[in-house]
Amino acid sequence: MTQVIAGLVFYLFLMLPPVVELLESIMIIHMHMQMPLLVVAGFLMAPLFQKKFPSFFAKYNMNGIPGILLFMIIMFFWNIPRAMDEALTIPLVEIFKFISLPFLAGVPLRDSWNKLTTKWKNGTLLMFLIVYTGTGILYIASPVQLCNNYLVKEQITLGWGFITVAAAILIYLIQLFFVNPSDYE
Amino acid sequence: MRKNNTIATTVVILFGILLFAVGTDGFTAFTAETARTNDLLEAQPQFPEVTLEDSKERVYPISDFEGNYLFITFMYTSCEDVCPELEMNMLQVYKQLPEEYIGEDITFLSISFDPERDDPETLTKYRGYFESDGETWRMARIPDQAELDALLEEFGVIVIPDDHGNFTHNSAFYLVDPDGYLIDVMDYTQPDAAADRVNSILDQEVGG
Repeated sequence: MTQVIAGLVFYLFLMLPPVVELLESIMIIHMHMQMPLLVVAGFLMAPLFQKKFPSFFAKYNMNGIPGILLFMIIMFFWNIPRAMDEALTIPLVEIFKFISLPFLAGVPLRDSWNKLTTKWKNGTLLMFLIVYTGTGILYIASPVQLCNNYLVKEQITLGWGFITVAAAILIYLIQLFFVNPSDYE
Repeated sequence: MRKNNTIATTVVILFGILLFAVGTDGFTAFTAETARTNDLLEAQPQFPEVTLEDSKERVYPISDFEGNYLFITFMYTSCEDVCPELEMNMLQVYKQLPEEYIGEDITFLSISFDPERDDPETLTKYRGYFESDGETWRMARIPDQAELDALLEEFGVIVIPDDHGNFTHNSAFYLVDPDGYLIDVMDYTQPDAAADRVNSILDQEVGG
């Protein structure tokens, strides 16, 4: 229960107007810090829902696939330049961001991850590797300003942020071929 | 049990498709800029009332151009990257139009959104780089900041100043019809396509 409370407090903290303003003022922090932190808040609050509706999760997220798909859909949706732009200019989109990332990405991620087979786990990581590499290249190479609220310079920084995450995933996936975790348990 | 799981998977996928479709206007606009252009083309806003001061220090309202098509770009002269390309491409369009239309049926207008630095003298110097004659292709500033802001807002030009006196801004070719309505927003990196488009409009309206 401590986790749930921590998650809730953290969620409320992220909603404080000065915190929102600070995190959204820099493009890469908006995308790679505020958004993941909202997912983390949801992840921490997940046990509350799992305890309240155990049959729902058991029934509709039996093998974890629906949940992880929902997680990926929400995550990739917020990679669209327009979604990020409109979160800043249209209040309804901003509200959707604060609801979707914790509850439609954080909660299902927690419920799904342990249910998934290794194949699906690595497949998810591979998917992120591909999408983040693609998005990273898009943000770096785009000759035009993708987000009207951010400078091109920031866009390139964000692109490299995507590439960095993708590189980290790549390293993880490569080491799977050489390292057997159970050797160390 | 398996069945529920499959239903959930299907629902999630459908939700995903719906979400992406709604968020991108049916997969047509992945950036706010594309969405903006689409909206502009639909709304066709009217040119708000502004007073221009051109490179020849003439001061006149925009309504002086009524009865004429206007081919417009928004720029500032200290710009180092996009604007020179934008103006070079504008010159390409200018050169590709038949001479009889130029100045008669269509006027080219480069509007500066940096009125503080872009005084008539600066504009005259800048004009020279692009073979603009100051008559059929004018370069002007809008001295009144409130009027300028209203125009930028109406035409969806987003200008963000940075710390070094530069601006980040979106660029396009804007075509305003003789009644003062915005009728097209064209890709400034495709001057040939823009010239063809303007030509066909002029042929139709003036020739036909």
